[in-house]
Amino acid sequence: MRKWKNNVFVAVTGACALLSCGVLLLIVGAIFFRGLPAISWNFFTEQIRLVGAAGGIFYNLVGTLILISTALVVCTPVALGVGLLCGVYGRHSRWRERFMVLLHLLNGVPSILFGILGLIVFVKFFGWGKSWLSGGILLGAMILPTVTIALIERIESLPAKYLEAAAGLGLNTSQIIWSVIVPQSLNGLITGSLLGLARAAGETAPIMFTATIFAGATLPHGIKESPVLSLPYHIFVLAQDSFDPSVGEKLWGTALVMVGMVVLLSLIALPMRLRIHEEAYHP
Amino acid sequence: MKKRTTLEQPVMTTPDHPVLEARNLTVTAGGKTILRDIGFTVQRHQVVGIIGASGAGKSTLLKSFNRLLELNPQFRVQGDVRLSGQSIYAPEVDADELRARIGIIFQQPVVFPKSIFQNVLFGTRHHDKVLRREWPDVVERALGEASLWNEVKDRLHESALRLSVGQQQRLCLARTLAVDPEVILMDEPTSALDPKSTEAIEELILRLKTTRTIVLVTHNLGQARRVADWLTCLSVRDGAGEIAESGCCADILTNPKSDEVADFFLSRKRLAVTPSPM
Repeated sequence: MRKWKNNVFVAVTGACALLSCGVLLLIVGAIFFRGLPAISWNFFTEQIRLVGAAGGIFYNLVGTLILISTALVVCTPVALGVGLLCGVYGRHSRWRERFMVLLHLLNGVPSILFGILGLIVFVKFFGWGKSWLSGGILLGAMILPTVTIALIERIESLPAKYLEAAAGLGLNTSQIIWSVIVPQSLNGLITGSLLGLARAAGETAPIMFTATIFAGATLPHGIKESPVLSLPYHIFVLAQDSFDPSVGEKLWGTALVMVGMVVLLSLIALPMRLRIHEEAYHP
Repeated sequence: MKKRTTLEQPVMTTPDHPVLEARNLTVTAGGKTILRDIGFTVQRHQVVGIIGASGAGKSTLLKSFNRLLELNPQFRVQGDVRLSGQSIYAPEVDADELRARIGIIFQQPVVFPKSIFQNVLFGTRHHDKVLRREWPDVVERALGEASLWNEVKDRLHESALRLSVGQQQRLCLARTLAVDPEVILMDEPTSALDPKSTEAIEELILRLKTTRTIVLVTHNLGQARRVADWLTCLSVRDGAGEIAESGCCADILTNPKSDEVADFFLSRKRLAVTPSPM
């Protein structure tokens, strides 16, 4: 009887696992087979033409790269600061736990709210209009918890023996931070950032009111009124227009490029992590 | 930049000040007493051994001598430790500078994932007065003092993690020596090493004591006999470590006065003759 129950349980959990893998395969598979015909060299190098029915996604790709690089530049120093505060200075403090709860809450804020915040603060209050910078800052704020938590976890898993040895040589806290803690937890920062960016690259809601338009933008020329094109917003607009078969092909092609980008970012995170890990043992 | 107040560095200590001295030292962690009322004295150029059963607080005592216990805020220290007559727990003393004057070697060698060269410089490059062009000399002198120079001089820029454990421990010693401490605390420095490396470290201790003062925690009575001038035996009373007996090494080992110490020696001897249960 117990064995029978166990088998049922294994079967049910197995089915759940298959289902989740199946969903992923279905999405990636559909995007791959429908998007593949659109992919060509020109698709990457040409500008958008005929309201998305022809041409390529060059400036969409560039725009998304601008947005996520800005997010990275905005997010990394803040994450490092917060990570060091929580992981080093506040390690034994009572408010650390509460702060971690806040970080998890920030992680749970729906992305559309970041968009609204950006609309109020950057677009209206600062008077930037649509600008790549506000999009970058918003995406940076959105991935901040992911990056910070990855970094804190890495800092806290650092063996205490390193800290004791460095302190035993008379190094002060800031010297210990720069010569022991930062070099040894850099892979946490890098993997966290790449995973965060993989998520940021696909977000539409934070940038649709604040940073991106559908057509007519090339490289940004300043901060004010300086929007960029982007991959997710391109998909968003084309999807509303997909009864036209030539638009549909471009839509799936763009989706495939975006999936490829996300996978690439996650894959870069992997060897980087392994390489730094190895360097720690056999430089 | 704020000027730091430091311990005055006496050129010569007056004979009435021991190099290191603990007075009524009590250490608690989270309400539990680890060490109670320790009195402890180390004279210049001596090797003082600390022996005692596991859990008697030997490592804690050692870490209270260079304020390393403070890294964990659970620990509370009462009483006083004096370095050359001056309290190290006085509010104006900078703990980081103090730790540069009292070095420590751990049970497991802790080398950083860097080259041998960078490991030796790891501490000293953060302290003032060492110029970059002096680095090679500093490294050679420290590795020489730790009897490691001849083994590594041709591969200074290889990873320190490729060294054997015994070599790593001597590298840690070189790293500490490069900072030029007056006192070196050693926490069972040979317990992870093979007999040959142990012998090398013991020879090193005997050589180093001509220029430094050494406090050595060991649970190897043979090692205590070979290198220590003075011996302090900790034992657990009412759940906390106390000093059971202190004295000249030979006296204590041949003729312990307290029953606890005699029992401890007996148990070590039994351990030594019975084959280890493997």
